[in-house]
Amino acid sequence: MIPELGTFAIILALCFSVLQIFHGRQSAVFGQAIFLSMAMLSLIICLITNDVTVLYVRDHSHFSLPLFYRIGAAWGGHEGSLLLWCLILSYWSALFCIFGYKKMSKQISEKMLMTLGLISTGFILFLLLTSNPFFRDFPTALIVGNDLMPVLQDPGLIFHPPVLYSGYVGCALSFAFAIAVLIKGNMTTADARACRIWIILPWSFLGCGIVSGSWWAYRELGWGGWWFWDPVENASLLPWLSATALLHSLIVSEKRHTFLGWTVLLAIITFTLSLIGTFLVRSGVLVSVHAFANDPTRGLFLLGFLTILIGGSLLLYSFRIGKFYQNVNFALFSRETMLLLNTILLLTAVFTILIGTLYPILLDALNLGKISVGEPYFNTIFIPLVLFVLLLMGIAPHIKWQKDQTSTLLKLGLPFLFSSMIVASVSFIFSTTLYTLLGIFFSAWVLLSTLQYAIKIRKNSLRHSGMIVAHIGIAILALGITFNKTYSTEKQLRIHPNESIQFANHDFYFDRINTNQGPNYQSVQAIFLVQHQKKLIGEIDAEQRIYTSHDEILSHPGILFNFWRDLYIALGNRFPDGSWSVRLYYRPFVRWIWSGGLLTVLGGLLSVLVRYKKEKPA
Amino acid sequence: MKKSFVVLCLFLFSQLLFAANDIYSFHSTQQQNQFETLTTELRCLVCQNQNLAESNAPLASDLRQQIYQKILQGQSTQDIINYLVARYGDFILYQPPLRVTTFLLWFGPLLFIVIAIIILFRAIGSDRNIA
Amino acid sequence: MKKIRVLLPLVLFMLIAGLLFRGLKLHPEKIPSPLIGKSVPQFSLSTLDNPNRTLTQSIFTGHVTLLNVWATWCEACSIEHPFLMHLVKDEHIIIDGLDYRDDDETAKKWLQQMGNPYQIILTDPTGNAAIDWGVYGTPETFIIDKNSHIRYRQIGAIDETTWTTVLKPLVEQLEHE
Repeated sequence: MIPELGTFAIILALCFSVLQIFHGRQSAVFGQAIFLSMAMLSLIICLITNDVTVLYVRDHSHFSLPLFYRIGAAWGGHEGSLLLWCLILSYWSALFCIFGYKKMSKQISEKMLMTLGLISTGFILFLLLTSNPFFRDFPTALIVGNDLMPVLQDPGLIFHPPVLYSGYVGCALSFAFAIAVLIKGNMTTADARACRIWIILPWSFLGCGIVSGSWWAYRELGWGGWWFWDPVENASLLPWLSATALLHSLIVSEKRHTFLGWTVLLAIITFTLSLIGTFLVRSGVLVSVHAFANDPTRGLFLLGFLTILIGGSLLLYSFRIGKFYQNVNFALFSRETMLLLNTILLLTAVFTILIGTLYPILLDALNLGKISVGEPYFNTIFIPLVLFVLLLMGIAPHIKWQKDQTSTLLKLGLPFLFSSMIVASVSFIFSTTLYTLLGIFFSAWVLLSTLQYAIKIRKNSLRHSGMIVAHIGIAILALGITFNKTYSTEKQLRIHPNESIQFANHDFYFDRINTNQGPNYQSVQAIFLVQHQKKLIGEIDAEQRIYTSHDEILSHPGILFNFWRDLYIALGNRFPDGSWSVRLYYRPFVRWIWSGGLLTVLGGLLSVLVRYKKEKPA
Repeated sequence: MKKSFVVLCLFLFSQLLFAANDIYSFHSTQQQNQFETLTTELRCLVCQNQNLAESNAPLASDLRQQIYQKILQGQSTQDIINYLVARYGDFILYQPPLRVTTFLLWFGPLLFIVIAIIILFRAIGSDRNIA
Repeated sequence: MKKIRVLLPLVLFMLIAGLLFRGLKLHPEKIPSPLIGKSVPQFSLSTLDNPNRTLTQSIFTGHVTLLNVWATWCEACSIEHPFLMHLVKDEHIIIDGLDYRDDDETAKKWLQQMGNPYQIILTDPTGNAAIDWGVYGTPETFIIDKNSHIRYRQIGAIDETTWTTVLKPLVEQLEHE
């Protein structure tokens, strides 16, 4: 009964969605949101009650799966995650109706809802016709379920997909804005101002999603890595980079009424990348451990829809953008130019990651053989780009709009001097590589330059607090990456209980082995006592779990962390003589990476908050 | 076949026996470094998004063993790479080789940014709409 | 000039979309063998029925052979197996086997249960010989011509469709060479 209700709810949501295309009414949006919520609720109920007549429940759940993860299984598989996608789109649209509709000119708001209706119709149709999570298959024998993959049975599952999807899907709003603006024929300052929140919020969610994904992979995969240039990871980084460019371009469009074409184009590009990402993960076109196992016919539908939607948008863009009225007076040395350079650098980064990820397909399609593109390629090209962006980040806030003297650069003498001094000192004390020095220099550069800017405008600093915090966040992120990459070490060894090992200036004493029974797994824990300079500072539990349903062994590394570094132990196999294979990792500054990322997100939210507080009384 | 392939990789990926039974000891840090370089720059062909160092696939384990033996025998990094490429093709290299076919890959970004900057400067130079 | 610039994003997008459409038909996880056209790798391996007897690559000269790399622990191999039996019985193909990372006793039992399509079964318990052939998964089948050159590598199980569309025509062509 409930599965049928679920399907029926989706059909109703589709009706509202179609209505939304033609009438752009808020009521259609709310109708969609309500019925998709009902559908998701139905799916969760099916999972909680373990209704194994629903194929999705069979494939992704198990009677012994803890309740927590049964709910997470709602988006652990392709069909459920697609329902989540549609649901989140309806929530964003509803949010826009409540908070943003009135702030934009009616023409734009209405056209935005129509565009959103077009997108949601396409996706709900895709859901209904090819990927219905409520598909029933009555079993003939007793079924217990295939269980959720052990690697997904982690708190990260509850948090990471919804947050990440909120980011991906939220990009639809600025896309809808771009379409509405193209149809209208111009973009006013007020329009641009109203759109700001609808790009910063998704950008923040994407940032959080990426950070949480990195953190989850670090904890779960057992070799202390936090980024792998995996195609699916790249798929989430691409829209984030583009959204960053869009954010900055929008600011210029609002303040100076220029870059209108760039803003519109970037909004289209960002959503395109988001859709391509959604496609890549489920089409089987790329090999990735993150990908949903899927058949190419689903990929065909999705790709077809996306081609028509984006092709149409870009066609509209090419016909209408020329008619836009805007300001164009700015000199070669001006903040406008700096921000345009920033857009170019970020787009180059997007281009690089895109071409690196898709190149194997290109060569294969042209029958030119099979190559693989991995970390060495991305690091080689991406790192210099990032260094240039950091350079620009330190300069741009100090340059005036429209026209400035190059002598202004001399004002940045202090940050330059101090950054150089820091680099010099570090290179004396520690061993460093060229990249280490560059990383430290540019991170310090951004940090000090941003602080100098904050001091300069201290009376107005609240207004710009978002930017200041976000840029500092990036500096911390860059510093964390630099130190982490340079000074990480690891050691693999065989150790008996009651033996001790020295590593990274710490002593690790293998105290004992614990065995435990979890809800759907058995666990073996190796307990290590950690000493630093003869003082006991903590305990690390490196665990191995054997999940009974899949007969799979999953390693849960033990981590002891503080502000500066992580000590990380992953447990391997037991040897016949009673010793264990163990891998120790020293990961300095890895928490700075995520903290920096979160700080950047915070900066974005801060800027929205400050805006909102200012506009409230008015 | 594709579905079981992905399941196989997830299985191996999550197992983390990480060469659990292979502990390699070398005669010098130079050999150790050589091993690390090779195993991190070569792709595992079974779990294709992991390098040989990280992968738990039996093939990865076999290849690590072979690389280990060859390093002890004193073979150079390039010799070992040639040996593996002769059997598995370019795909085993994580770093795409610089060839005519990969020209676009390696120089594409540079071309992109150079062209973009040229367009930028020309547009700013004249008094036209930047759009 | 302006017109060209605004059309550029659309053109770029269409190229990417086209690539992705093409990509849907490809199999990214299948890797082509660099050994196609070359002589079979040299080897000296024992056979399953007589561990004391070692054979070399000379066993391939003079006739067209299919070398099937298989293992008892490989699920897809079990699925492929009946078809190999059919090929030997009804199409009179010569199939040799390379038993990959297996244990002799288990292999013998498995063949007793499932039937034995192989003329010769070489054993590679360590997997080292298979590396010389560029094997990365099972089952894989190599088509070897009369001069001991590798002409094709099949990744994955051979089924009716693969046989009739790809492998059979090649085998017939090689027979006539």
